[in-house]
Amino acid sequence: MAERKPFHEGLFKEGPDGGALLGSKCTSCGHVFYPPTGRCLECGHEELTEIELSRRGALYTYTIGYMPTSHFMPPYALGEIDLPEGVRVFAPLEMTEAKPFEVGQDVELVIGKLWEEGGKDIIGYKFKIV
Amino acid sequence: MREVVVLGVGQSVFGKLPDRSAVSLGVEAASKAIKDAGIKPSDIQVAYTSRMLNAGTDSQKILKDVGVVGIEMFNVENACAGGSTAVHGVWKDISYGLYDVGIAIGVESFDRTGPGTTLLAAKEDLEAELGMTMPAKFALLARRQMAECGATIEDFAHVSVKNHHHGCLNPMAQYQKEFTIEEVVSSKMICDPITLLQCCPQTDGAAAVVLCSIEVARKHTINPVKIIGAALQSGDHKHKQKDIWLSPFGAKTANMAYEMAGVGPDDIDLVEMHDAFACEEIVRYEDLGLCKRGEGVKLLRSGATELGGRIPVNPSGGLLSLGHPLSASGVRVVAEVALHLQGRAGKRQVEGAKVGLAHMLGGAVTGLEGGACGIHILAR
Repeated sequence: MAERKPFHEGLFKEGPDGGALLGSKCTSCGHVFYPPTGRCLECGHEELTEIELSRRGALYTYTIGYMPTSHFMPPYALGEIDLPEGVRVFAPLEMTEAKPFEVGQDVELVIGKLWEEGGKDIIGYKFKIV
Repeated sequence: MREVVVLGVGQSVFGKLPDRSAVSLGVEAASKAIKDAGIKPSDIQVAYTSRMLNAGTDSQKILKDVGVVGIEMFNVENACAGGSTAVHGVWKDISYGLYDVGIAIGVESFDRTGPGTTLLAAKEDLEAELGMTMPAKFALLARRQMAECGATIEDFAHVSVKNHHHGCLNPMAQYQKEFTIEEVVSSKMICDPITLLQCCPQTDGAAAVVLCSIEVARKHTINPVKIIGAALQSGDHKHKQKDIWLSPFGAKTANMAYEMAGVGPDDIDLVEMHDAFACEEIVRYEDLGLCKRGEGVKLLRSGATELGGRIPVNPSGGLLSLGHPLSASGVRVVAEVALHLQGRAGKRQVEGAKVGLAHMLGGAVTGLEGGACGIHILAR
């Protein structure tokens, strides 16, 4: 089994329930941010708490890429997902031949391997149609 | 603040030029601009050069071969808005009375020796690691335009057809070829719904403008083209952007430039703008107030933004057809608008042009609406 490494620390947690993205919630104005931030981008307050974001959201927009990037070979899907906490997350999307993407679809978080690097499985997040 | 004049312009041919070094392209553009201005190299007092790829002390490298050394020189970068940033720097220095004559240069040369074509993405940027490239960013936008604004892929193709048609009239254009809507729609898919002919090419090239104070200009020309409005702004937090087809920072930058210039969108006779991806030209019509929010598609379909229409957009052929040497484009759009105002734009001349707007934007940064937007309004 290859060694696993998150592509970034502090952005998500894994768990038996499927894990969650980690955001920051301002203790003053209540605004939620992803990625986590040490300073409220709305009111400037410097005390925020870590918050697990909802696993389900709505597909705000999507695209399917047909030219390679440094980590992904085509075809690969990318999207922006609106979560109930008021954050919009950019993430890869899991493609299934059976179901094409549509703006507004319900999607759910999946934590798993995104690519390989230095012999390790690099772990990150994507969303799939529910 | 003093009035600043565009005294001379120059650009190299734009294209795939693997045998030309970036510096030689910059030398070509800068020499042409200085000659066009009718000044000596030693008259230049300040220089700003923009380059993104493999950049490094490019002002010095280029200008020493043009006969300019020792003066105050800056090297700037702002992704595709780098050229606007260079122009803005020279404009500011002259406007505030620090110098009387300066040159802004933009140059880009792609490294074509790498294995195959991988889409460029920023290093150390969260979204870039997850696949956010420039085509992806604009494909996500295009999908929202289709969902919210009634835009169709044929509308996006229409922008490309229009700008390629204009490019046929521009001897400097990388592509001088007409295309049909069908050909654009059925070209190779890059990032759904963006096909190859909806994307600007990878272009090598350089552009330069010589700017001067109004006092210096009067010694050289009786018909000075002045920069009457100038603004450079950076993207606000993305979470404040309600929908990605609404570009608050684009509109804000435009309004700053209009206010300084004392003109409005109705006074503009031509626009040169960032059309790296065909879909976004429609959004920019709205940012610049050429039509109301949500009516960009209607404006495009009316034909108003074609040469001969009410408000020609990208008569040069734009980034789509003329080409997009990243850091040069921001300078090139200022040069192009100046040419039209001086009646020197040849077959693509916008008749009777008195006021023009040059727009460029660039950069994709996680958490921000965009990188930078630079707008300069010129008038004679």
